[in-house]
Amino acid sequence: MKGTCSWKWAVLALSVAALVAVGCAKKQTVKSEGTTGAPGAASAPGAVTEAPVKEAPVAVAPATPPAAAPGVAVTEEKLSRFDDVLFDFDQSVLREDGRKTSQVVADYLMRHSGAKLLIEGHCDERGTAEYNLALGERRATAVMTYLVSLGVPTADLSTVSFGEEKPLDSGHDEGAWAKNRRAHFVLK
Amino acid sequence: MKRSIGSAAVVFLLALSLFPSPAFPVLYIDINAPGGKRMPIAVADFAVGPGDRSLSRGIPTILSADLALTDLFDLVPPTAHMERVTAAHFSGKPLSFPGWKMIGAEAVVIGLADVRGDRLSIEMRLYDATQGTLLLGKHYTGTPAQLRPIVHRFANEIVFTFTGVRGVFGTEIAFTARSRKSKGKELYIVGMDGRGLRKVTDNRSFNLFPRWSPDGQWVAYTSYRTGAPHVYLRNVSTGAEKEVVRFGGSKAPGGFSPDGVWLYAGVSQAGNSDIYRVRVVGGAAEKVVEGWGLEVSPSPSPDGRRIAFVSDRGGSPQVYVKTIGVAAETRISSGTNYATSPSWSPAGDRIAYTARSGGRFVVATVAPDGSDAREVASAADGDCEDPSFAPDGRSLVYTYRKRGYSALKIISSDGRRQRILVSGLGDAGSPAWSPGR
Repeated sequence: MKGTCSWKWAVLALSVAALVAVGCAKKQTVKSEGTTGAPGAASAPGAVTEAPVKEAPVAVAPATPPAAAPGVAVTEEKLSRFDDVLFDFDQSVLREDGRKTSQVVADYLMRHSGAKLLIEGHCDERGTAEYNLALGERRATAVMTYLVSLGVPTADLSTVSFGEEKPLDSGHDEGAWAKNRRAHFVLK
Repeated sequence: MKRSIGSAAVVFLLALSLFPSPAFPVLYIDINAPGGKRMPIAVADFAVGPGDRSLSRGIPTILSADLALTDLFDLVPPTAHMERVTAAHFSGKPLSFPGWKMIGAEAVVIGLADVRGDRLSIEMRLYDATQGTLLLGKHYTGTPAQLRPIVHRFANEIVFTFTGVRGVFGTEIAFTARSRKSKGKELYIVGMDGRGLRKVTDNRSFNLFPRWSPDGQWVAYTSYRTGAPHVYLRNVSTGAEKEVVRFGGSKAPGGFSPDGVWLYAGVSQAGNSDIYRVRVVGGAAEKVVEGWGLEVSPSPSPDGRRIAFVSDRGGSPQVYVKTIGVAAETRISSGTNYATSPSWSPAGDRIAYTARSGGRFVVATVAPDGSDAREVASAADGDCEDPSFAPDGRSLVYTYRKRGYSALKIISSDGRRQRILVSGLGDAGSPAWSPGR
């Protein structure tokens, strides 16, 4: 921003300098067209070449090289031994069915000490992606908090939000959306 | 006597340059008058040297296409032009202004271009056909590959000459779309005229929420490439990258401070999302908005003193405005139970956001004090979301979605004119308009 501004001012200053210089230049120069001309317009003697400000070369971005990093396959849905916990629109409160599902998960984790669980928070496609990212985080955290209240050690749990980016059902109706508003469990 | 005309022109140009809204009655387009008078303008075929004869029609085509993207000009078709522009018009020979006036042109653009080896030289002039006076003259040099950026730059100068506000030709829009190869999302960039579409990331992960730095060189975005969402800065020219926000769970960049020092971001930790600003250099973070609810989507005002953001503290997501460092936060959205993704106009006077209305999502704008809310973009058969203002504040890009189909559209801020920018890419969304060029 700063750079652009100072550049603009530089060009402006140059333009003004050139124009002022011309304003004071020989009558003959001005006469040829009756507008502003410029000193040092070498191409044709007496020619008017107004504002011969050589603008800074325009930067043209070369094609961007692709990122080398292969990336982690986070786009794949990992199958879970547990059902998803489902939520209502714009809600992160566990419903009765979600609490039952969470109980099953908690029982498993407490029988298998050492098991680590990742809780993914997801949203349906409606609304804004940024808001849904935070909403997914809140859903995942709501489930985590509930599991902890059931006795699961916090250290065994982690969360990640995928917002609206990983729909389970790619449909665009309430049936699909209801499946996509979910917390998904991944045993690590 | 002639000399005094020259001096007048100097004063005129000075005034145009120094004051954002010159009040010149002659050849001035009032951009605030909806459906106001358009400027009839002729872009003559260029006089060209032997290097590349195709420039004669090629440059006016680019320039005319730019001017036609606004609602400021009526282009006098080339078939009506009677005077052929030659190199002599650039060395003293006057144009036949009565002739141009006769075919309806009040302004005329002429140009002289040549290519020698790897050097492109273009001189362009804008005349007032009524007065026969020169309004604008620029000489550009560059490489042939820089032809379009040069022409866009002059088109921006033309708009500035008539309106006092620089045009936005040559600006770009960053956005996200599904990759065909994976189910992930990659970043893309496209010119505001729909040309030059290119993929920016290629890591088969989710790459989200692109936001431009004020110098237009960097895009901040969220990537899941390591498995969790972190915020990176990517140089759009070189592809160089660095990670900026290193803490918290989910993170989404909202926008940069106008001086480029801070990046504002929504950061979720333990289910609570607050707004931070992080130093782009060094990474030091400060909490800017705090609350029990979800506080997300910060959008700084152009003077950098305030931000618009989203909070659901009142029971539903709504847009709020606060001055940085001051506790008071004012809700500015109303009449909806879902208002998200604010975008503060670079002109300062409006904030656009997504609103839920009658079961659909629409794009609305409102004054920063919450007054004068207006619906700008809506569709009977789909949703309009995620607005981002052009650098002149005169138009917006947004996402249109309808049962799996998605497109990016550009609409004038008064909602009168719109066009499709990008379609045919899966799940295109999160558009962000670059700064001015």
